[in-house]
Amino acid sequence: MAERADDRLVRLLGLVAYLDGAGPVRLDELARRFGVSPRQVREDVDALWVSGTPGYMPDDLIDFDAFSLDEGVVHLTRARGMTRPLRLGTREAVALVAALRAMHASPPVQAAPERAAVVGSALAKLTAATGDAASAVDVRLAGDGDPEVLAAVSAALADGRRLRIRYVNAADVASERDVDPVRLLTQDERTYLVAWCHRAGGRRTFRADRLLAARVLDEPAEAHDVDPDVDITASVLAEGGPGAPVATLVLASPARWVAEEVPAESVRDLPDGSFEVRLRVTNPAWLRRLLLSNAPDVRAVAPPEVAADAAAAARAALAAYADEAPRGDAPGA
Amino acid sequence: MPPPPSVPPAERLLNLVIALVNTSAAMTKQQVRTGVAGYADAPSTEAFERMFERDKDTLRSLGIPIVTVDAGGHSDEVGYRIDNDAYALPPVDLTPAELGVVALAAQLWSDKTLRTDISRAMTKLRAAGAGEAAADAVAGITPRVRAAGDAYGPLLEAISARRVVAFRYRAANTGQEMARHVEPWRIAARGGGWYLVGFDRDRQAPRVFRLSRITGRVRVTGHGGAFEIPDVDVDAMLGERVGVERTAVLAVVPERAQAVRARAKVVDTSAHDPRRDGRDVLEVPFRSRSAFADELAAYADAVVVVGPEDLRREVLHRLRAAAALATEPVETPGAAGEVHRG
Repeated sequence: MAERADDRLVRLLGLVAYLDGAGPVRLDELARRFGVSPRQVREDVDALWVSGTPGYMPDDLIDFDAFSLDEGVVHLTRARGMTRPLRLGTREAVALVAALRAMHASPPVQAAPERAAVVGSALAKLTAATGDAASAVDVRLAGDGDPEVLAAVSAALADGRRLRIRYVNAADVASERDVDPVRLLTQDERTYLVAWCHRAGGRRTFRADRLLAARVLDEPAEAHDVDPDVDITASVLAEGGPGAPVATLVLASPARWVAEEVPAESVRDLPDGSFEVRLRVTNPAWLRRLLLSNAPDVRAVAPPEVAADAAAAARAALAAYADEAPRGDAPGA
Repeated sequence: MPPPPSVPPAERLLNLVIALVNTSAAMTKQQVRTGVAGYADAPSTEAFERMFERDKDTLRSLGIPIVTVDAGGHSDEVGYRIDNDAYALPPVDLTPAELGVVALAAQLWSDKTLRTDISRAMTKLRAAGAGEAAADAVAGITPRVRAAGDAYGPLLEAISARRVVAFRYRAANTGQEMARHVEPWRIAARGGGWYLVGFDRDRQAPRVFRLSRITGRVRVTGHGGAFEIPDVDVDAMLGERVGVERTAVLAVVPERAQAVRARAKVVDTSAHDPRRDGRDVLEVPFRSRSAFADELAAYADAVVVVGPEDLRREVLHRLRAAAALATEPVETPGAAGEVHRG
């Protein structure tokens, strides 16, 4: 797809302003700085060369030194007054400042004081340069997790060291593992540790709020050929796989978040405001938990074994409540 | 050297910016049409007017401050120029580590529109001479926010201009779709969801709307400056931090509910109270009763809520409903044909 005219304009203006301050710069270095190909920079220079003020006589045009360009060096010799970098537009300031604010408040950043300081100072400088229009968008990455655990994970990532973690999975089973951390990913409401797990012999994704403990080991983390860029939703789906059984739930409108936040195969709105969602699940424990949490809004479940499984778990729980005194000495209640 | 007969849009825009920055006073439309490279391509006055209006909008959206002034002297013609004082980015002077943070922040957004906005911002910062980015300070960290969707653009535009928006919205509790007219205050993202916080003109009260429940397009209506944006506590309006922190007392089967144990302030494993059936007693802080009840109900018989009573009732409500799933299956008309038993 062709580049948008406004994106190119921003770069054209940016090139002139930058070159005016920087002096002669190698073409490939310019390309790297502005994130485009050297060929694109060359086309930009050609466009700038024929641009200027009305009249468009030689002295009206932006000019470069032709000999330097033959040597692969871009040397601006006339800027036609376009020497100052362009300020940020409202949308750009919003996108930038909101992202930095969200990052600054996120648990992985807050867990490491020096990291929080760098993000904080970048935020302060940019807020000062853009004004307060940026408050139109307010993003918070919650992502729970024990600050001590997150601090240990952060330290291991920064120093390239191995971690010993205690992790409890969705089926409530705890285990101890040595992992080589790859990254700490905060996506929306959760933080995940992506790591090479020596126990599993492969890449695993651990939810930070289920990390019970983490200790930095003396061993360096090994380099593994793992893709650090995980799409969490996709990886949950992949866990199911195309051969996994399908469960179909009909849920009342208040449980609409399920359709929005759980990776569903399909979602269909029904005339009465309820909706039908189809899920592929290999992990029956996960589906049981989903049903227990949202049972008041569940209108129908198929296949029937899924409903029977959740109902049996609920009856066992109700029996436990029957054994229990109805009211305790709850402090602060 | 005269410019080629057909000038690409980016170069026409560039020539307009250079002309309006360098003009001594201002340029009239006619001067733009005859003088600035690219506008002579317009086949008619109407086509030129449309082209010029669109170009002005484009430049303003990029932060280029085009102002209108009296052309002076003769007639009532309006002139255009660029406000040179407002044009420039103030010195930002980011350290390499700070620039690394900014580059990382650019990866936060999943939306194409937000990514475009932030990559333009990066281009401008690079043009301002920011050095090489150093990523050490934020090594291994990846923040990411789910896409806001199509509503984001018009809503942000409306907030910036203080204009009213109209859209159709599916209410969560009834599932009914209704037209809404809202004075938009803030766009917020929390816990994986995007929200609009604003004043609902139909209900005459502040309201929160989930962007994913907006059906169809958001229309920006009426004139600018139609309302004032008050100081809003977004978290309070989203109901996340409402209420004080409370403490729940839970009777938990040994070794179970470990994620809950990790948050407990007190864990009493020595209470061999026969009534507790060998369970540990945990004291766990919580804020949102319904979210905590969702979590605890999912543990089934591994966790029994001792108190407070309202939390206990909420969990029991879920468990009773779940127990009824198998004995009284409710078939919803229209769903039966879709059930897949593969």
